[in-house]
Amino acid sequence: MVAYYPSIEPATQAYDQALVDIGLAVGSHVRVEQTEYRFDLPPAVEQVLRTDRFDSVYYRVISPAGLEIAGDADLPAPPADGIAHNTVYNGKKVRVVSVQAPCGRSTCTVLVGETTVKRERLAREHLLQSLFPDVMIALATLVIVWFGVKRGLQPLARLSEEIKARSAGDLRPIDAEGVPAETRPLVGALNGLLAEVAATSHMQQRFLADAAHQLRTPLTGLQMHTELALAQAMPQDCRTQLEQVHRAAIRTARLANQLLALARAEPGARSANADLDLKSIAGGEADTWVRQAVSRDIDLGFELDSARIDGDAFLLREALSNLVHNALEYSPRGGRVTVRTGRRNGHAFLEVEDDGPGIPVAERSRVLERFYRVPGTPGTGSGLGLAIVREIAAGHGANLAIEDSPAEGCRVGITFPHG
Amino acid sequence: MRLLIVEDDAPLASGLQRILEAEGHAVDVTPRGEDAVLAAANEKFDLVILDIGLPQMDGFEVLRRLRASSPDKGGPTPVLVLTARDAVDDRVRGLDLGADDYMVKPFAMPELTARVRALLRRSQAHGGPRIAHGPLTLDTVARRAFLKNEPLELAAREWAVLEVLLARVEKIVSKEAIIQAVAGWGDDLSPNAIEVYVSRLRSKLEPAGIKIRTVRGFGYMLEEFK
Repeated sequence: MVAYYPSIEPATQAYDQALVDIGLAVGSHVRVEQTEYRFDLPPAVEQVLRTDRFDSVYYRVISPAGLEIAGDADLPAPPADGIAHNTVYNGKKVRVVSVQAPCGRSTCTVLVGETTVKRERLAREHLLQSLFPDVMIALATLVIVWFGVKRGLQPLARLSEEIKARSAGDLRPIDAEGVPAETRPLVGALNGLLAEVAATSHMQQRFLADAAHQLRTPLTGLQMHTELALAQAMPQDCRTQLEQVHRAAIRTARLANQLLALARAEPGARSANADLDLKSIAGGEADTWVRQAVSRDIDLGFELDSARIDGDAFLLREALSNLVHNALEYSPRGGRVTVRTGRRNGHAFLEVEDDGPGIPVAERSRVLERFYRVPGTPGTGSGLGLAIVREIAAGHGANLAIEDSPAEGCRVGITFPHG
Repeated sequence: MRLLIVEDDAPLASGLQRILEAEGHAVDVTPRGEDAVLAAANEKFDLVILDIGLPQMDGFEVLRRLRASSPDKGGPTPVLVLTARDAVDDRVRGLDLGADDYMVKPFAMPELTARVRALLRRSQAHGGPRIAHGPLTLDTVARRAFLKNEPLELAAREWAVLEVLLARVEKIVSKEAIIQAVAGWGDDLSPNAIEVYVSRLRSKLEPAGIKIRTVRGFGYMLEEFK
């Protein structure tokens, strides 16, 4: 658009000049006889003057005294201070030029008008011709800016991808290598915050370890002395009460363990993952579980295949222990519980299947909440077990699923995402 | 047997003492790690039960010093570590420094007595040729077995399987572990063959109340004799 007006200007002048030429030619046909002005234009000449390929041409001849001599008397004259103007004549846009033509010793005024068809045509062509490169340049600029900005922001995009890809517990500092200089202070501030959070969670974990010791030792003493007392002869009602105390002691100890596990599974408190085999996680605790199973007269079996993953051995052992404990707790005497590890469709998994009463479909999402127990459930659970398992599975990016087992009971499994 | 308990929690220490005395052992108790190191240097104990979380000198240090003072007569004293912490590295550290077994608090009385019995049996097996389990006795030098003082006929492979199970009472022994322990080089033993040996052992031992439990998909466990 910028190129439009300067380039249309010379063309307008050229067209105006042609009108001036016509004006002079018309003026040359004015003769002066004494005081009379006569206009004598042969029809052939008028024909030539008035005819144009695109436009209609009008003229008007005025004497020095301002009297009409010939032509279209109502053709509007330019204002006094100008020699050309755009106006409307016979309902059409016209360009009118005023020419001073010599007649006798004085000068007559000749007005020549022309409709603006070819001027507008020229203007349109001009507009298109000058606009096309403009548009192309604008498009090219857009494309260049688009790619340039995108390329320039790539390090920032990488940075936000890195932060997005992190698990909630990953508190390592962000690598400042390759980020744009402008964002270094931001990355520095973020790293400072991460370090503070990591230090806080480390302190919290140490506090937990201490709390565990403080709680577990007296609980062991309590449990042991109750067992010693129960080994002695005593009245039946005393024994019943002492058995209640014993059960409460065991339950409290288990609850303390579970609370610790839950706190430790929380993001930020987790220690680093390591390469491990789910088979050996399950195999390592088998003795303890089998002893529990024997005391409840349950057939505890294993179908263990190797499945290596990146994980936290302590937490995965805790998760599996909770699943096995649940299965043993809620299966009827003489029941059958199976622990499985391995790979299925390329995903590492661990699962525990029982032939107990199962979990009704409507309750399945609620049993994952902390302290929730299915109404009417026997036994001494705290309602924390599955919440812990869910927390631990989530921390590993794994999926926890509760399904019906083919043997009527329940199958609870953790499926790991990769590798 | 002579046992040393190193535990600073008085109720727990006295409970342990009563339980182990009831099992027929002579039991000394100290709440301080320094005293334990001193006592072990002067006297021979058959088993040390050691708490990790002691004031001043902690259990790790006590264990390190016990192991550093060279084992004199009759092999090293077995150490059962008690810990209130269960972080994985604590366990590994305990066993790396030479603990023979560990128990995480809280534990039940029967589990404790079973572990103590297993450790004492193992240390005896190191020292003497005879392994006892209830009414069953194995003379590992003469390679003769007795059940209720009657000679018991065992085929060589049955003997080998029984020996593996006896070394780990109350623990699951996987079929693979049994095959490894039983099969000589060049032998090709299938898991099915192990089943056959175990079922023969069962028919010989079960009338005397000795039970070998099958752990489905895993292996076998010789149960504590009751």
